[in-house]
Amino acid sequence: MPIDKNRPSEAWIGALRARFPCEREIERVLTRKLARRAGVGFAPLGLETLTAGIEALLRAESIADFAVTEARWLAGGASKLQVAFKLGWHQPDIGRCVTPMVLRMEPAESISESSRLREFQIIKALDGVVPVPRAYWVDAEARYLPYPAIIYGFVEGVAKPSASSTKVTGVGTFMPPSLRPSLGADFTSHLACIHRTDWQAADLSAFDQPAPGLQAILWELNHWERVWEEDAHEDVPLMRLASAWMRRHMPAVDHVSVVHGDYRTGNFLFDETARQITAWLDWEMAYLGDRHADLAWASKDLLGHLAEDGKTFLVGGLLPRAEFFARYEQAADLPVVPATLSFYDIFGTYKIVAICLATGYRAARNGKTHQDVLVAWLCGISYSLLDDLRVKLEAVL
Amino acid sequence: MELRPAFQLKTVIKALTDVVLPAVDANNKLAQEQARLVIGMLQLVALRQPLMYRYERDELARFLALAASLQDETRAQPVAAQASRALAEVVTIGTDVLARARAEPAELESANFALREKIGALVTASCADDPGNDNSARLKAIGAKVTAHAKAQLLRERSWLLMQGWEADPQALPTIEALIGDGPPAP
Repeated sequence: MPIDKNRPSEAWIGALRARFPCEREIERVLTRKLARRAGVGFAPLGLETLTAGIEALLRAESIADFAVTEARWLAGGASKLQVAFKLGWHQPDIGRCVTPMVLRMEPAESISESSRLREFQIIKALDGVVPVPRAYWVDAEARYLPYPAIIYGFVEGVAKPSASSTKVTGVGTFMPPSLRPSLGADFTSHLACIHRTDWQAADLSAFDQPAPGLQAILWELNHWERVWEEDAHEDVPLMRLASAWMRRHMPAVDHVSVVHGDYRTGNFLFDETARQITAWLDWEMAYLGDRHADLAWASKDLLGHLAEDGKTFLVGGLLPRAEFFARYEQAADLPVVPATLSFYDIFGTYKIVAICLATGYRAARNGKTHQDVLVAWLCGISYSLLDDLRVKLEAVL
Repeated sequence: MELRPAFQLKTVIKALTDVVLPAVDANNKLAQEQARLVIGMLQLVALRQPLMYRYERDELARFLALAASLQDETRAQPVAAQASRALAEVVTIGTDVLARARAEPAELESANFALREKIGALVTASCADDPGNDNSARLKAIGAKVTAHAKAQLLRERSWLLMQGWEADPQALPTIEALIGDGPPAP
């Protein structure tokens, strides 16, 4: 009996849960996605509806005497809806003021299904460690808004240089030479700070703490193999091969770090005049695990470009790969292990293919997002990524 | 290749309906009318595209039947001899095409889908940890076959989507026409 992934049975969902044990909150979010899959798709929402939801959330948080004004849609990103607005309120420790805010909300199904509670907690945990928006409130169960959402402070800055042409989601952003030294320094030192931060002191109740050794990577492999299993339409034997290889070659983690999960150019805002990173965004895939996941992802060819000499690859369009690793090692006082980096390069590619080709197809096919046509368009990048995966696998097999 | 017309059209129609049409100037009647016509035309394409091949085949069978019937009727007419010979030539071609037009596109897609799934399952089963046995050599051997196939297949998929702009060196990719050939071989 073929499995209907668009109307998953409880038995099949149960089998997936048993086969791919992962962090509890991840497991909850993925199961919720499958339980709702046969339901209605995403219908357009008006700013009035979202404003009313924001107001309901604020009242539930005991915010009195406030005004939500100037709500407007924000573009950028493929996974979540974002609305900028201004909140007139009495802010603790400041007094009466108007604070620019951002509502970040899930669609019915997202190209990357994730937990708003985790995103909220990790942003709060990193506040003061690296530049992040201030996280104010979370509607983790969509009690007040149509879908789970967080509200955080609006941060000034741009995600790409004003003159840069970029493909969707920030991939392929060209960084001019004038920006590279200072942004490259921030890019490297911020990553070191994230990986060095004392996460045990933070409230990360939505994160399971992995035991030393293989548990973190095993959870992650189970997470993304489950995503492939439950979302992929056409199977890809190369993905099965990659999974088999990774399960045989999991490296033990020597230092459990906060991992951003999508650390790259396009996911930070910067001040073009001051040439400084003003905020790190998109923490939805953060977890506790091996720093090499971020290092390998940040330094992928896809996410950088060549310097003017036509030969030197610049990580994130900012600095040469060797310099990036050397500076990182110095700042973090943690080694960059080539074999582990190679493993996480393969893992990161597997993960992004699962997102773009499997979840991207499934969510758009079922009309579940606010921008199905963009999500469908992004499916097309998967084949270049798969070819990269093939080359990397040939090198290690 | 996941980006097939049915999937693409569905997302395009939703974007036009949910986002673009509501943003078209209500006072621009020409733009309003044409935006609705674009959506309607795409809905028609989405509805009928899966049946297009079957429709063409059915049409061909019916014209061949009509041609045969008319040839019988006009055989004794010298005035129609030249036209009848011309018709006979295209009947021969049409009959051959119809004889070869058996499997539908959906059947091809379904067969590929099943093969992808079962090959993937075999790779997983064969490369899984096998307590007491070192499967490293098997993983390497299977890996060589899978990656060799993937190299050729992914070249086609990347070439098919070349205009999307994901390739670092688009000039290095052969055209899709060169990769998949001009069509089926002559009988």
